[in-house]
Amino acid sequence: MKSMNRRRFLAAAAAGWTLRRAWAGTEARPLFEEIPAEASGIRWVHDNAASAEHYLPETMGPGCAFLDYDNDGWMDIYLVNSGPCDFYKPAKPIRNALYRNNRDGTFTDVTEAAGVAGGTFGMGVAAGDYDNDGHPDLFVTAYGRPILYHNNGNGTFTDVSEKAGLGARVFEGHWTTSAVWFDFDNDGRLDLFVCSFVDYGADSHFSCGDNKMGRKFYCIPRVFKPTASLLFHNNGDGTFTEVGRGTDIEKSLGKGLGVVATDINNDGRMDLFVANDTVQNFLYVNRGPDARGRTKWEESALSAEVGFSDDGRARSGMGVDAADFDGDGWQDLFVANVDQEMFSLYRNNKDETFRDIAFKNEVAQATRLLSGWGLRFFDYDNDGAIDLFLANGHPDDMIDNYSQAVKYREPLLLFHHEGGQLRNVSAEAGPVFSKMFPARGMALGDFNNDGRLDVLVGNNGGPPVLLRNNSGAGNHWLGVKLQGTKCNRDALGARLTWSAGGVKRSRLKNGGGSYLSSHDMREVLGIGTAPKIDWLEIQWPQPSGRIERFTNPPLDRYVTITEGKGLG
Amino acid sequence: MSVHAKALGLAILLACTAVAQQQPSAEAILRRAIELHQSGDIAGAIEQYRAYLKIEPKNVMARSNLGAALSRSGRYEEAIVEYKRALEIEPASLPIRLNLALSYYKSAQISSAAAELSKVVKQQSDNRQAIFLLADCHLRLGENQKVIALLSPLEKGSPNDKALIYLLGTALIRDHQPERGQVLVDRILRDGDSAEARLLVGTTKLNAMDASGALVDLRKAVELDPQLPDVYSYYGLALLTTGDAAAAAKAFGKELESNPNDFVSNLQMGVLDKQDERYEEARAFFEKALRVRPGDAGVRYQLATLDLIGGKLDRACSELERLTRESPQFVEAHVSLATVYYRLKRKDDGDRERAIVQKLNAEAQARQPGAQGK
Repeated sequence: MKSMNRRRFLAAAAAGWTLRRAWAGTEARPLFEEIPAEASGIRWVHDNAASAEHYLPETMGPGCAFLDYDNDGWMDIYLVNSGPCDFYKPAKPIRNALYRNNRDGTFTDVTEAAGVAGGTFGMGVAAGDYDNDGHPDLFVTAYGRPILYHNNGNGTFTDVSEKAGLGARVFEGHWTTSAVWFDFDNDGRLDLFVCSFVDYGADSHFSCGDNKMGRKFYCIPRVFKPTASLLFHNNGDGTFTEVGRGTDIEKSLGKGLGVVATDINNDGRMDLFVANDTVQNFLYVNRGPDARGRTKWEESALSAEVGFSDDGRARSGMGVDAADFDGDGWQDLFVANVDQEMFSLYRNNKDETFRDIAFKNEVAQATRLLSGWGLRFFDYDNDGAIDLFLANGHPDDMIDNYSQAVKYREPLLLFHHEGGQLRNVSAEAGPVFSKMFPARGMALGDFNNDGRLDVLVGNNGGPPVLLRNNSGAGNHWLGVKLQGTKCNRDALGARLTWSAGGVKRSRLKNGGGSYLSSHDMREVLGIGTAPKIDWLEIQWPQPSGRIERFTNPPLDRYVTITEGKGLG
Repeated sequence: MSVHAKALGLAILLACTAVAQQQPSAEAILRRAIELHQSGDIAGAIEQYRAYLKIEPKNVMARSNLGAALSRSGRYEEAIVEYKRALEIEPASLPIRLNLALSYYKSAQISSAAAELSKVVKQQSDNRQAIFLLADCHLRLGENQKVIALLSPLEKGSPNDKALIYLLGTALIRDHQPERGQVLVDRILRDGDSAEARLLVGTTKLNAMDASGALVDLRKAVELDPQLPDVYSYYGLALLTTGDAAAAAKAFGKELESNPNDFVSNLQMGVLDKQDERYEEARAFFEKALRVRPGDAGVRYQLATLDLIGGKLDRACSELERLTRESPQFVEAHVSLATVYYRLKRKDDGDRERAIVQKLNAEAQARQPGAQGK
C-alpha cells in the first residue's frame, strides 16, 4: 500500500489540480473547489433511467457516501446507481461504484473486486458497522430489493440481506430511500431505520398523463398512497427483526425521503426526524422501554411544530439534518422542501418543541425557488460554529418550460455561521456555486485528511461533483475517530465536549442526515485560532455511558479514541 | 377606459344628476349649499348642508346631497351615515339607496354594497347600472354563481353588450366553466385583441393550472390596459405560481395603487409579507381583505396564524375554534388549532385536533388518483 504524508499529498494535489489557479485570476483558492473527474479518477456517471414515460424513481436518485471501507484512514467513496427493475431494462450493464482513496487526491474503482455493484434500482446508502467488527458495512436502499453488504474486512463485501432477515419479502411494497444506522435501545449494537416512500404499485404504475407540452411528467407524490417506514432491531447475531409494528412508526403512514437520528430532548435516547414528501414530517421521540421492554415511539411532530408549515400545510420534505446549530446544547433540526415552500431551520426550544428561524438566518429567502435534497450542518472552516451546505435541484425535468423562475438545475448553497446567525456566502465560496446541478444526495468527508470536510454531491443522470474544501486557513482542528467497545462501535450517540480558548463547545454524534447519503464517521472539531484544546470530554452512549476526559489533546491531526482505552 | 370603470363613472354621474335634479326650497342656506356644490366647492357645500340640516333635519334632498358631497370628498363613512338617515325618512328612494351602495362599494364594504344593490335591482329589474354594479360586487366577493344567475337572463337580449359579456364571462371562468366562458371570450375577441379578452383568457389558463400560458396573456393584458380592474392582481397570481414572488409583489402593489380594495392583491400581499416575517404589514393587508370579504375563512385563518405567531394564543384559539366549527374540513385550521392547544398545554384537546387532521388527510389521500385500487 502506498504511503504518503500530508505534505507530499498537497504537493501532488497542487500539481494536478489546475482549476484551482483559475479562480478569479488570483492566487486565492475558492472555499470549495470542484475536482474534475480527470483529476479524481471518478468517472462513474449516474444513469437515471430517464424515459418518455417518466417513472417517478427516475428523478429521485442518487445517493452517495464517504466511508473508509478498508480502514486505512482515508475516506473512500460509494455511489449508488439505478438498475434493472419492472420498468427499466438497461441497454448496457450499469452498477454502483466503490472508489478506493489512493491517498493522493485520486481514486480507483474497486467495485467489482469489492462485490458491491448492486443490481437493483438503487436509491441511497447508509454505512455503519452493524456487527461491531471494525469494518463499515453498507445498506443500499432501492426501488426494489435493498441490499445489506457485510464488509468482510479484506476489501470485499458479501450480500447478506436474506441471511440477515433483510430480504426482499421484508421490503415488499416498500420503495426504500434514506436509511440510518443508530442504536435506539442502547444495547451497543446498531439498529436500522429505513424510510419508505410511496406505494408506487407492484405491477403497473399510475401515470399522471400528459402535461401541456403533450408529454408525460413525473407525478407529484401526493397522488400515491403513503407507506410505513421500517425499524429493524439488531439481534446481535447478524440478523435483524422488524420492530416498528404496533408502534407509531407503523401507524404513521408517510412518504419518507430523509431521516436523521438524534437526541432532541437530551435524554440519552436517539430519536428520529423523518422528512416526508407531501405528507407531514414525523418526529419519533424515543420514550425508552415499556413494561415489556419494547421501545415506545411517540410521533410528536405536530406538537413539536416540525410537522407542518406555519400555514398548517404539509410540505414536500426531502433532506433533513440535525445539529446543535446555536451551541446551546440542544439539537436543532433542518428540513428541505420543494420550491415555493422554503426550507425550515428549527431551533430547539428545549421542551420538545421547535421554532422555525429560517427567515432570520437567510435560509428561507435563499430557498424560496429551490428544491432541496442533500444537506448538512458542519463547521466547514473550523471556526467552531456550525455552518450549512445545501444541494438542490428540481424534481421535474421539464419545469423550465412552465416556470419563469424555477429551474431543473439549481445552485448549491453555502451558509456561514456569523454572530449567531447563518449568512448566505455562496457568492463568495467559489465558481462551483455559480453552476447549476440536478443535485440529490450529498455526503461529507475529509477525503484528503487535511481536517477540512469536503463535499460529494450525487447528481441525477450525471456525474457526481467532488468539492475540495480549501477554507479555514489559520484555524486549528482535531479529527476524532471514536471507537466504541461497550457501546456501538461507531459510537453513534456519543457526545463530544471540548474547551479551547475559553470557549466550551459540544457535539452529538448523530446518525444519518442529508438525503440518501452517508458521511465520514469521524468528527472534525473546529478550534478556531485557539492555540490548543484545554480538554476534550467524551460521553459514550449507553450501555456504558462512560465519560472520559483528555487534557491537551493534539491539534491539527486525526486521533482515534477507543472507549475505555484512551486516545491513540 | 375599462368596462368596470365606465360602469362606475356612469353611476357617479347618475348620482350627481339626481342631486342636480332635485328642487331645493327657497331657503338661502340650502341654495348656497347647492351653488357651492355645483361650483365644486365641496367643503363649503358640506358646511352649508350641515347648517341647513340643523334647522331642517328631515329634508331628504339636503341630506342626500350632503351624502353626495361627503362621498365626493372621499368621506365615505360619513356619507353612509347621511344616506342611511335619508333612507330612514324616505326608504323607497332608489337614487339614495344607489348612492349608499356606491359609498359602501368605495369604502370596500362590498357585501353591504351588494345588499343595497340587490334591493335596488329587486325594485328596478331593468336598472342596468345597478345590475352591473351588483355583478361586480358579487365578483369581488367571489360569488361567481350569483353573477351568473344575475346576468345570464340578460345575455340573450344583449349579445353585444360588452360590459355584460365581460362580467358574465369573468364569472363563468372563475367558476370553472371554461366552455361557456370561452363563448363569451370569443365574442369579445371578435372586436380584436383587448385587455379584457386577455384577462379572461389568462384567468381561464390560470384556473386550468397553465400558469406559464396564463402569464403570457396576462402580461399582454397589462400592456393593453394597465388600468383594467383585476389585471394586475391576476398577473401577480400568475407570476407567483410560476415562482417569481418578487415580481408578483410588484404586480399586487400596482393593483392596489388603482384599486386599494382588491381582495386578491390584499390577500396575496399579506401572505408574502407573512412569509417574509413582516407581520404588521401582513396584518394590515389581511384586515383590508377581510373588510372586502367579511367572514372570509381564508383571511380569518391567516389572521389567526398571525396571532399564533405573535403568541396571542387565546385570540388565535377562539378564531380557530370558530373556523373549525364553521368549516370542519379546513385541515390547516385544525393543524393550527392543535398547535394552539399544545402550546396552551391542553394536550387532550391537541390530540383530538391531531386525530381530526389525520382523518381528514387520510380521506384526502384516499381521493387521490394514484391511491385507487390495490
